[in-house]
Amino acid sequence: MPHDETVQREGAANGTVSLAEAAKIKYLTPHNARFVRTKGNMLSVTVENKAYPSVYLHCSFPHSNRNQYISVRTLENEEVGMIESLDDFPAELAELLKEQIAIRYFAPVISKVLAIKEEFGYAYWEAETQAGRCRFTVRNGGGNVKLVSDQKLLIQDVDGNRFLIERLDQLSEKEYRMVEMCL
Amino acid sequence: MNLCFELSEQDERAAAQAVGEKIRYCVPADLTLTGRRTEGYLVVGEERYGIIQDGECKESHAIHEATEYKVIPLVGNVLLEAKEQDGCRIAARASMQHAARYAYIAQILTSVASEKPIRIYNQEAEPACATCGGPLIRGTRICPKCINKAAAFKRLWGVSMSHWKMLTLGVLLLFAMTGLSLLGPYLQKILINAALEPPSGQQADMRLFMIAIAGMAGVLVGGELLTIAKGRIMTSVSSNIAADLRKLVFDRIQALSLGFLTSQRAGDIMNRITSDTDRIRNLIQEICTMAILQLITLVSVGVLLFQSNAMLAVIVILPAPLVAYLQVYIWRRILRKLSHKQWRIHDKANSFLHDVLSGIRVVKSFGKEAREIQRFRDYNTQFAQAAIQTEKVFSMLSPISNYLIQIGQYIVLLVGCNFIVGGTLNIGELVQFTSYAAMIYGPLTWLMYMPRWVTNAVIAVDRVFSVIDEQPEIMDTEHSVKHSIQGRIEFRNVTFGYKTYEPVLKDIHVEIKQGEMIGLVGHSGSGKSTMINLISRFYDVTEGELLIDGVDIRHIQQEALRSQIGVVLQETFLFSGTITDNIRYSKPEATLEEIIQAARVANAHEFIIQLPDGYDTRLEENGNNLSGGERQRIAIARAVLSNPSILILDEATASLDIETEGVIQEALQRVTEHRTTIAIAHRLSTLRNADRLFVLEKGEIAEIGTHTELMEKQGIYYKLIMAQRNMAKPKKISSVQEKSAASDSLSAQAVTN
Repeated sequence: MPHDETVQREGAANGTVSLAEAAKIKYLTPHNARFVRTKGNMLSVTVENKAYPSVYLHCSFPHSNRNQYISVRTLENEEVGMIESLDDFPAELAELLKEQIAIRYFAPVISKVLAIKEEFGYAYWEAETQAGRCRFTVRNGGGNVKLVSDQKLLIQDVDGNRFLIERLDQLSEKEYRMVEMCL
Repeated sequence: MNLCFELSEQDERAAAQAVGEKIRYCVPADLTLTGRRTEGYLVVGEERYGIIQDGECKESHAIHEATEYKVIPLVGNVLLEAKEQDGCRIAARASMQHAARYAYIAQILTSVASEKPIRIYNQEAEPACATCGGPLIRGTRICPKCINKAAAFKRLWGVSMSHWKMLTLGVLLLFAMTGLSLLGPYLQKILINAALEPPSGQQADMRLFMIAIAGMAGVLVGGELLTIAKGRIMTSVSSNIAADLRKLVFDRIQALSLGFLTSQRAGDIMNRITSDTDRIRNLIQEICTMAILQLITLVSVGVLLFQSNAMLAVIVILPAPLVAYLQVYIWRRILRKLSHKQWRIHDKANSFLHDVLSGIRVVKSFGKEAREIQRFRDYNTQFAQAAIQTEKVFSMLSPISNYLIQIGQYIVLLVGCNFIVGGTLNIGELVQFTSYAAMIYGPLTWLMYMPRWVTNAVIAVDRVFSVIDEQPEIMDTEHSVKHSIQGRIEFRNVTFGYKTYEPVLKDIHVEIKQGEMIGLVGHSGSGKSTMINLISRFYDVTEGELLIDGVDIRHIQQEALRSQIGVVLQETFLFSGTITDNIRYSKPEATLEEIIQAARVANAHEFIIQLPDGYDTRLEENGNNLSGGERQRIAIARAVLSNPSILILDEATASLDIETEGVIQEALQRVTEHRTTIAIAHRLSTLRNADRLFVLEKGEIAEIGTHTELMEKQGIYYKLIMAQRNMAKPKKISSVQEKSAASDSLSAQAVTN
């Protein structure tokens, strides 16, 4: 609400620490960080002369915006820094980073729902996906099938595999009816 | 756990070339780096490992090239990472169903790389269905092949059968009712043919006329009486069956593991106990009254119709198949899904209500009432729309099918009148026929509404049995014993993870002596609460053993175990009822004196006695009419009443102010004396009375010792203490100090969070 914003700005003007100052985000840019693909297809980074042999990219908004606010973390969950936007990086490097993001967040997009059979608290799906034809079992309830944006549906099976339906409105009438039952 | 998958001949040849003749392990590596699912395998030989895909070796490396192998759980897939000298390598990528296998493979490869003996568990069986031997749905004992609807109805039948006497009586009454109602048209025929319109050459018979009139009146009164009796019997039977079902569902929910229950919404589960079982009650009532009645009527009237005039009977029944087809089509294609959707929305709206009403303080304190009203309106509209959609289909369906069905009746009149004119039929017979025909339309029309309640019932049965079928992950076996606990606890090489491939506790090997007070210290997520969950056996260890007095915890009856463990949590939950009821919860047979003793030990007596209603004070929902400290003291009294051999304090005093904490600490000191106590506290001063402290770091025990020993060691514990002391220091004004204080408090916050 505009009113809230005014209050916040006034707070900052009064000399209190602004949110940005308190949060102390360290942004990685092409100037202060050097990302390199390792021989074994992993990602390493050197920031201000400190080398991190393997780092992982965690998106802040994996469903709504994968290009911005990407946290670069070690396996020990230490944050090396954040990438504000992939657009700040040269195309080749941005591509490498996108590849790494795609490895971390694996959720094949469903291109066609072939069948969904629902019985006794579980739904048995069969679908064509980017990764090939998949059969998987989804437990009902507990948010295993959820809308992560207006039209994007995320499905998590009993093993923890994830699948995506990018646009609900582009499903055929028949597919939609089947999927709707699981919503 | 299967770690030796079979390879095709072609793959096997490629594997032998890549890693040598002897393949020790072979697990699916079913994802490529570009994100395709493949039939790939990771094969491990004596000294090398490789990735085999479509009869080809994609890559292979010596196991010794890396010093360590790790499984990295990502989102929706896992990596096997090899840590080599010049960086890390993705050794394999797989989908989540193989994550646990990779945890083992990583251990094995690391052992080989570091030339340590392999501790393997590949003999551990994968859970399989007892009937067909096929794989089960992960985390359950449900076999997708062996479960079906017929079985559910059979079980419903099983539940119903305990009331078979009343059911039989009800069904007999139904038969009697149908018999009576069939007499009606017969008496009409007698009435007409004997008195009103006797066949030519015969006199009107007044005696028959009177008998027919009396018979008709008798049928009417008798029918009504039977209806009343049947209604009463069926209501009581169906209510009893529903009550049995509710009990079954509730019992099962109580038996299910915490893991399952936390994955379900509370509102959802509540619905299953209340509305779904109620729908089943309706189903039974419908089946046992309407369904059977209508079927008997349909069959007997059908027979009578064909007996009196086959041609007319055919005309009456002709439109029926058409209508039936229409019904079935609409049910399958539209209605089932519509009502399913309606219920989901209903569930969601309920959960939303539950959420907002329990969190009403937050809503109010952020002033978001308007937003919540809007959200409720949205749910409400959605529900209304779904309901309207369903009703719309119904409102179209029934007039159309009624019309189609009754067309037959007009044709009967047309043809019947022709027969009378032609002399092959008399009026009495036509009246009897049309009365029977009218009777058959009832069941036929009713059959059309059948899809509606069958839809509802099938889904309800489905949902209720999905809970009843859920198998608890932790179960007592026939060998479980009632063990009287002394209080010695031993973790023997315990590894545990909520997901097997992500261990939260790693190789814990400690012993807690009887009567000892242990403080668990560590950052959040270091595994403190998990250790406690294992002692209460909310989960079973993945590897290793947890012994109580030398007995494996898996061999102790759960109820016996938990009744001897007292637990005080940070978030106390008090039930609605009096203070006495709440304290008595852990030991229902406790005397009033024992309750007062427990309250005194917990330092609760003082404040309870001040209350106008004393121990009879009725608590509001979750004890909202008491302060946090008061609630906590009642919780402590509840925990100590049963005189547990093991006492667990999970952040018992974290949310209290220092003064109240002091009072409670004093109480706890009395309680914990000579009793095995395990306490978790972030506020480290709380643990000053502990005999020993275990410092947990990333799932491993990093330090053990008394407060003094650990302070001298200047390790993790020392740092934690220092961080808390810094936090307690007053802030200075100068900007440099302010900065350092800010970073201190941030680090301290990381500790306390």
